[in-house]
Amino acid sequence: MAAATVDNEAGSKGLKSGALGLASATVVGVASTAPGYSLAAGLGFITVAVGVRSPAIMWISFIPMACIAAAFFYLNRADPDCGTNFTWVSRAIGPKSGWMGGWSSIIADLVIMPSLALIAAKYTFLIFGFQSQADSVWWTLVLGIIFILGMTWICVVGIELSASTQMGMLVTELVVLVMFSVWAFVKVFGDKIKPFTDNADPKNIVHYAAMHPAISWLKPSGFGGISGLTAGVLGAVFLYWGWDTAVSVNEECEDSNRTPGLAAVLSTFILVGIYVIVAIAAQAIAGPDFLTNHSDDVLAATGKLVFGTTGFGWLANKLLIIAVLSSAAASCQTTILPAARTALSMASHRALPKRYAEIDRQHLTPATSSWVFGIFSCAWFAGLVMISRASGGDVLGWSVLSVGLMISYYYGQTGIACAIYYRKYLFKSAKNFFLVGLLPLVGGIALGAIFVKSLWDMTNPDYADGTAWLGMSPVLWIGLSAFLGGIPIMFWWQTRDRTFFDRGRDPIDSRPPPEGGEPLPPLVGVRIEG
Amino acid sequence: MAGEIILGYDGLEGSKVALASATGVAAAYGCPLIIVFGYEPNPLGGEVKDLRDAVRAVGDKLLAEAEEAVHAINPNVTVIRELVGDRPAEALLRAGDEHDALAIVIGSADHGPLRGALLGSVTYQVVHRSTRPVLVVPVPDKD
Repeated sequence: MAAATVDNEAGSKGLKSGALGLASATVVGVASTAPGYSLAAGLGFITVAVGVRSPAIMWISFIPMACIAAAFFYLNRADPDCGTNFTWVSRAIGPKSGWMGGWSSIIADLVIMPSLALIAAKYTFLIFGFQSQADSVWWTLVLGIIFILGMTWICVVGIELSASTQMGMLVTELVVLVMFSVWAFVKVFGDKIKPFTDNADPKNIVHYAAMHPAISWLKPSGFGGISGLTAGVLGAVFLYWGWDTAVSVNEECEDSNRTPGLAAVLSTFILVGIYVIVAIAAQAIAGPDFLTNHSDDVLAATGKLVFGTTGFGWLANKLLIIAVLSSAAASCQTTILPAARTALSMASHRALPKRYAEIDRQHLTPATSSWVFGIFSCAWFAGLVMISRASGGDVLGWSVLSVGLMISYYYGQTGIACAIYYRKYLFKSAKNFFLVGLLPLVGGIALGAIFVKSLWDMTNPDYADGTAWLGMSPVLWIGLSAFLGGIPIMFWWQTRDRTFFDRGRDPIDSRPPPEGGEPLPPLVGVRIEG
Repeated sequence: MAGEIILGYDGLEGSKVALASATGVAAAYGCPLIIVFGYEPNPLGGEVKDLRDAVRAVGDKLLAEAEEAVHAINPNVTVIRELVGDRPAEALLRAGDEHDALAIVIGSADHGPLRGALLGSVTYQVVHRSTRPVLVVPVPDKD
């Protein structure tokens, strides 16, 4: 009997083109960044690095981010979104560099999971008023692990929130953050926050007082030297991390030459606005010391001072908690999804064992790589908590500091890869020269410099409050071992399957122009089985 | 051509039961059977292209299996496979409209009640939104 296969596709490559407008793509970008969670987990560390100048760091870090956004945008044109930086760097610089880029983005995702889970667990306890459980290492570990496994399950089962739900959650988050800032300014300028003393720890009694915001907080100087500046920017890179998802949905956007790039730029602008305002507000409430002493959950601590704990304040505090919690939950999803998919991409191009490319036939998701990632995250979380208990230091906080290393590595590498990949076209027009060559290169070099300088600074125990492991700060050990751990794995895999490593970079003549051209053949012949 | 039978197939128990019924209906009416597999990866994770390629590979395989299963029941039924890059419910409704199909056949239980309530089951969506007849085939009790 006659049998035929009809491939019924909307658009040329099987994508539902025109599904996302500018607003939806921007929502994707901002939601992936998770501003509520990022501020709660990261603002304290930036304040540790630069003191009163954290608002300035927010806008300074925005500049390299915007440069890298241009690189993502143009590289995405050449080869839309398979493995993003992993694929692009493999094509532009070479397979080994690409492999390390893919590795560092997966490892950055892995290292950040415990912090995400910790914030989610803590805020879940807080929402129900379990203060002592929220402060307990073990309770938050248990709930955090349940949270990671639950989120992994959700990613495997493939429950996706609709765009409108995402939009609703994001709007709530932004409204609550703005409300928090406005309320803080009203109270601070009305001198409603009385100076107070924290004498919970008799050996370390601290006095806090509200501060009126000053223009000098935004001045790009006084960071305590280049080291302070790089440490601050490294922290802020972590806060901005995630906007690249707006570029990844390139082909689903209406007017895909313009919308996704605009959405990425718009997301970074929304983020810089929110971050500068909240950084000023949070600092005005009780000064920078309060932030550094509550660095693991800045918003919960300052929220109590801003809103109070009774009546409307009680409700507003709950709203703040919900905003951070939903932000952490959304971020958890947008961390597991790309990590599992980068692994899928690497496996399908024979850069990792084949099983990571397996698709669950029931749920149509990369189940193996998601579960492996989820379980490794739990192990990493538990390990960090154990080491924290044994060494008495804030190992979890240090691991968050080290994530900036991985992110700046792969963002920087992508920026440089963009200029290298398109070098044949850079002098064809002024637009190419600036947007495809200069900006990505400047961003790449800036992030590369931050990477190198931070590594250097991390050799000093002062980087982690004077704690030293073998004479250097634990942040360096955590960051380096996670990052360099990829190298033996890479060489081990090369002995098993050389296909990916033997392909080399794309020949210069086969590279499409930045304004778009013929679709490129896949990196390595895809061989996926169900 | 008009008057085909559309079958929604995802390889799960419900769609296997529906496949048997759809084969019977197509044979009885003497019309071709269009087997539809709809897929849409969540774009939030980025890196959608590889996942989409992988899902398409799975879909191809499922459709081949489905065709084999149809021919095992009745080798005289003409089978057309369709891999649609859209949410399953949309894919079925669109295929129905494009072919001006006689009816859409779909299994009743494509996932558990919780997931059905959270997502809205594909079956409910198709039943409520279709402009043409829908045949919902119940899954027999396990015991």
